[in-house]
Formats: sequence, C-alpha cells, structure tokens
Amino acid sequence: MKAFDIAFKDMTRSFRSFFAVVFMFVVPLMVTGMFYLMFGNIAQNGGFDLPRTAVVIANLDEGGPEFQVNPKNIPGGREARTMGDLVVSILESEDLADLVEVSFAADAKSARAAVDTQQAQVALIIPPDFSEQFADIEEGQAVIEFYQDPTLTIGPAVMRSILDRFMDGMGGVKIAVNVFLEDADLEDYAQTGILVEQYLDDSLAQSEDAEAELLEVRAPASAPQSQDESKQNLLLTIIGPIMGGMMVFYAFYTGASTAQSILKEEEERTLPRLFTTPTPQATILTGKLLSVFLTVLVQVTVLLIAARLFFGIQWGGLASVVLAAAGIVLSASSFGIFVNSFMKDTKQSGVLFGGVLTVTGMMGMIKIFAMNSPIAKQMGDTISLLVPQGWAIRGLMQSMQGEPVGVVLVTTLAALAWSAAFFAIGVWRFNRRYV
Amino acid sequence: MEALLAIEVLNLHKSFGENLAVQGVSFEVGQGEIFSLLGPNGAGKTTTISMLSCLLRPDQGDARIMGHSIRSDGTGVKSALGVVPQDIALYEDLTARENLSFWGKMYGLRGAALKKRVDEVLDVIGLRERANERVGKYSGGMKRRVNIGVALLHKPKVIYMDEPTVGIDPQSRRNILDSVVALKEQGMTVLYTTHYMEEAQELSNQVGIMDHGKMIACGTHEELVKLVGGQTRIDLTLSVDPLKVLEAWQGIEGVEHASVEDGQICLLVADSNLVLPRLFEAATRQSARITSVDIREPNLEAVFLHLTGRALRD
Ligand SMILES: Nc1ncnc2c1ncn2[C@@H]1O[C@H](COP(=O)(O)OP(=O)(O)O)[C@@H](O)[C@H]1O
Ligand SMILES: [Mg+2]
Repeated sequence: MKAFDIAFKDMTRSFRSFFAVVFMFVVPLMVTGMFYLMFGNIAQNGGFDLPRTAVVIANLDEGGPEFQVNPKNIPGGREARTMGDLVVSILESEDLADLVEVSFAADAKSARAAVDTQQAQVALIIPPDFSEQFADIEEGQAVIEFYQDPTLTIGPAVMRSILDRFMDGMGGVKIAVNVFLEDADLEDYAQTGILVEQYLDDSLAQSEDAEAELLEVRAPASAPQSQDESKQNLLLTIIGPIMGGMMVFYAFYTGASTAQSILKEEEERTLPRLFTTPTPQATILTGKLLSVFLTVLVQVTVLLIAARLFFGIQWGGLASVVLAAAGIVLSASSFGIFVNSFMKDTKQSGVLFGGVLTVTGMMGMIKIFAMNSPIAKQMGDTISLLVPQGWAIRGLMQSMQGEPVGVVLVTTLAALAWSAAFFAIGVWRFNRRYV
Repeated sequence: MEALLAIEVLNLHKSFGENLAVQGVSFEVGQGEIFSLLGPNGAGKTTTISMLSCLLRPDQGDARIMGHSIRSDGTGVKSALGVVPQDIALYEDLTARENLSFWGKMYGLRGAALKKRVDEVLDVIGLRERANERVGKYSGGMKRRVNIGVALLHKPKVIYMDEPTVGIDPQSRRNILDSVVALKEQGMTVLYTTHYMEEAQELSNQVGIMDHGKMIACGTHEELVKLVGGQTRIDLTLSVDPLKVLEAWQGIEGVEHASVEDGQICLLVADSNLVLPRLFEAATRQSARITSVDIREPNLEAVFLHLTGRALRD
C-alpha cells in the first residue's frame, strides 16, 4: 500500500512537470505529425498526396538501332519506340499522375525557359543520342539534363527520385542524371527519396529486379490498389513505424527520467527522510520502481490511443498490441532503473540522456529508417536487436504487420528477458547503495 | 521504579574514513524534556542524530529511543520518532497539504484520521490558509515550518530537530522556538541541535556541548555555567577617573574581582542584584556618577570559550 502511495506521489510529480509531459506525449506525437503532414494528408482524401511536380520535357531522342520495348510492359501502356519515349511514358503513366504533371517543350531552350518563368519546377532534357548511348553497353553514357528552379526543393527532389529509380533499374548501363544546379537541398532529397520509393513500391508493385521488369517482356504490373488499401499501406509502412519508433524512444526516455527520481530524491534529501519513517527500505524501492513502470505504462497507452485517433494507425490485434506494449513498458522502465543505478548523481544525466539513451535509441530504430533498402534493413535488424529498444520496436512492428500472436509473444518474451536482467541488476545496485 | 528515559545514548562512535565524526557520545534525556546539542558546524551533531534515527549505523555503541534499540529495532525506533532534518526535505512541486498527506501515509495514517491530522498540523504550523500552494513557492521560513509539521503528523513521543532555525527571518524563528516549547508542554521529548547558544539556553532542560565529535560538557544551564565559576560580569563607566572608585569597590562585599580595562571598571560578582546598590552608594560617596552599566550573566558562550579556548561561532 505504501509502495503505491510512493508511486502515486511520483506520478503526480511527473505529470505536473511541464517538460516531462512535453517529452512524454507532445514530442513523439508532434514528430510523427510532422512526418504525417510531410508525407501527405491521408485523413482527408485517402490518397498519398505529395504536391504535384510540374515537369516540362524536351524529348529530343532520335532513337537507337537495337532498342525495343514491349509496350505492354510500360506502366500506362503507351508504346515506346525510343528510350526517351520510355522515360516520357513512365512519367506520364497514371500511377505517377498524382506526383507529376507532364508538359512538353520543342527544344532544350524553351524547356529551360519554362522553369525560369516558373511555369514548371523541373525541366528534363533528353538528348538526341539518348537511346544510342543507352544501347552502347561498353562506352555509352546516357545523360538526362535535369534543370530545376533553385528555390524549390520538394518537387525537384521527387523528380530526381523517380528518375534515379528508373535509371538504377537499368543497371549495367552507365547513366547519370545531370544536375545543373548545385543548390538542390540534399537532405530533403534523401527524405523524399525514401518516400517516393515507397510510393513506387506500392503503385508499381515492382519486383526487386527492376531491370528485368523494364526491359523484358513481362506481365503487366498488378492493378492499382484501392485508395483505402494504399492509405493503410502508407500508415503501415511509413507513419506507423515512425510513430512506433518515436513511442519506444520516448518511452525509454521517460523510463530513464522517472527512474532518475531515485537520485533526485536523494539530492532533495527526501529519500533519507523516507528512511526515517517506519517504512521498510524494500517498500520504498518497490514504490519507486512501480512509479517508473506505471508512468511508462500511462505514456505508452496514451500514445497508442492518440496515434490511433490522430493518424489512424492500426496497431494490430488486441492481444498482439497488449503484448507489444508490455514489452515496451517493461524494457523501458527496467532499462531506466538499470542505467540510473550506475549514476552517482543527477548531474550525470547529460551522459544518460545525451549518450546512452540517444545511442541505444538510434540503434534500436535503425530498422525503421532503413526500411527501404533490403540490405540496410537486414543489417538494421541485427544491430537494433543488440539494444532493448530494438526488441521493443520489433514487437510493435510485428503486431502492426499482423503477425500471429505467437510471434509477437516470442519477441515480448525476449524483451521480458532483457527487462528481468536490467531490473535485477538495477535493484541489486540500488539496494547495495542504500542498505 | 525509575521513569523510562526517552533517549539513552551509550558511547556512540562514527567515522567517515579518517574523519572521526563522532567519538564516544553518551547522554540521557528524560521524557518530556528538551535536550539541546550545542556545537559549532562540523561538531558531529547531525551525524549523532542520523545514528539516533537509524539512518547511519554506528561503528560502536548503541542507543535506546523509548526503549527501542537503534541497532536491533529500527522499526520500533522509527515509529516512536519524528525527525526534522537539517536540510528541508519536502517535495517542492507538491502543495503543503499534499506533502503532509504523503508523509502521513508513510507514518501509517490513512483516510479520515489522516485528513483530520493534516488539518491539525496545518493549524499548528500556521499554514492552513496557504495549504494548497506548492511548497516551492513558499518563503524559507514557511518551508521550515512545513518541514517541522511533517515530523508531527503521527504524534511521536520523541522528536529530533536538527538546526531548524538556520537561515530564516526572526519572526519565523520566534514561531519555531515557541512551537518547540508548546511540544514539550504536550509531553513530547525534544532533541534539538543548534549552534546558537541563546536557543539552547532558552529552550533546554539540558544542554550537551559538542566539539570535534566529543561531548565536552553536559548538564543543566546552571550546572554548565558553574564550570566557569558562575560569576556575573559587570562593566561600568564613570564620570571620573575609574581609579578613584576602584579601591572602594574592591572592598565591597560580593565583589570577587575588580580591574580597569579600556577606561571601564570590570567586576566579577556572585550576585549582581546584591552588589549593584552598594556600587551606587560607594560611587555617590566619592562624588562620582555611573554613566553606564553592562551586566553579563554567565552564558554558554562563556562556557564554550572556557572549555575550548575558542568562540562558538568561529
Ligand atoms: N556522509 C559523510 N561523509 C563524510 N564525512 C561526513 C559525512 N557527514 C558528515 N561528515 C563529516 O563529519 C563531521 C561532522 O559533521 P556533522 O555531523 O554534519 O556536524 P554538525 O551537524 O555538527 O555540523 C564533519 O567533519 C563532516 O565533514
Ligand atoms: Mg548539522
């Protein structure tokens, strides 16, 4: 009973602290909200709504002798006689209609002029020898001139990303996208790249072997998904994991900062005072631990529900979500206790929050940010499982992806094992400190 | 049968590495008495109190609080005890009422009884009106009062107060000293530490003077001042050359010593009430006027000086 009194007192204090509340609830929701807004206003139109990029194309390609493409293979189904036509038809395809608005210019000069006069954001100039260069496997250097409005970042980034994607797909041929303006914002580009790739994955249902798909005769791409499906897909693949990652990161943060109240109470002299009351030391420590656990529990529960309400994220079946949440709560609170038991005083909290939590948190989340590259993803999987955050995230992702409850349970048990170890060491160290 | 002692301390020792913080302290406090530990900073008062509240384990020695040994019956000791720590130990982000409720629970109070007791204590410390403000917003004196209030919640038989008046305004200080006396009147035993000799002198039945971890003297105020001879010192200024009356005053009955220092006459007397009229008579006979009189009864300051050769507030 006294343990609950202590826990309740601690929670009252935590939830009264402006910063604690901000870091517990506001920051993770806000960061996710930012991604959500950046990646599209899903709630309103159910679509994946990046701003459309106006592209003006000057296709000067005169074709090459050995070039042949089966029109059925091209999204949008247009026939392509030259490599340049292929690029155009891809950009004009229905699947990209949400992203790209294509217009044409007769020559390079007028295409650039369209960008200069802000009629278009990007000009693509496909040179006369494009197909020819492309066909020359030995020495060919197929180059598309990419001309962008220097004040814009997102539109050109979307375009580059699409182009890169196709160019990469034609691997083996030396192809470069020539960017004339140096001041394209590379960071934005990288972020948008992830997004666009995701989009293309969904809408084109491309196989990993893009080359084969583009250049060989194959069955047409699968039918476009319904809007509901693609909305759910976006949530599942982008916003959900980001929110999950944020939640785990900040749950660990809360665990550590709440467990720090043990050190803080020592400095406030209230801990020694507790020891002068007829309350057994074990009860006091239990109360402190309970408060860490309950605070993280409240945080995770609120975030799960808030994310469902604000972003419509489906976390998975009830049993799976409960298991995954239990894994997060237990590992976050026990890790907080563990780390704090090694600190002398709260002055070392810079080390805790800046160092230990950030590094392990990042390691745990590698998986989420590496989700588009199979190799990085595999690596990220391994690395993230070296830290408890990785296991906590894993359980949640499995639940989100609709894995069977048994699979989530295994992950939760692993998180539980971590927690038990952290908890035991933390309690042992705190006990030794105060007895 | 002898009345039970509230506090019985036997040869306590505690050192921190090389630092012998407490070296063989023993004393006894009867029930319903106020006992002061007087000593400069670093004398070992807090260390002693910490051992007596089971926060520190003594290296040697034992103590009984209401019959409970600090070595073998920590829970018994803690239940009988209210501790007011030297440093304010409260939750600043909680209100005074929330603080008192929480600490009350730690002393095992619950429900309606707890609520009633919290209100009573708020009245005692005079903070009922501002009970719902966060303690962090209080002045130093108000915090000190809440700090004391916490120790009163479970109506302990014995209360320790470790320098409760440090760093506060005279009014709060007065309030606290009055409440200590009030507690004693309710039958509580108080162990009070201070480095202000006036407080020890005003409050206590018994005073233990500590220095460098040792109890260098212990007893009632009267017993202690006897150590310096029990004489009152009187300093007088005259309208004439002091030497003119010095001889006459030296002969007066009750004057044990007379000398001239800095143009003043300093006398040591056994009882100033008896001697003073005789001094005025003698002065009149010599046609001298007394222009100022300063009477200093023997005090603990003098005792400390006498025992250690140092002033208390070095
Ligand atoms: N926790 C501790 N660790 C090391 N030394 C201590 C500790 N507490 C007190 N001391 C030392 O013990 C001596 C007595 O301190 P203390 O009991 O606080 O004196 P007082 O309360 O009379 O001012 C001092 O020299 C102090 O520095
Ligand atoms: Mg002290």
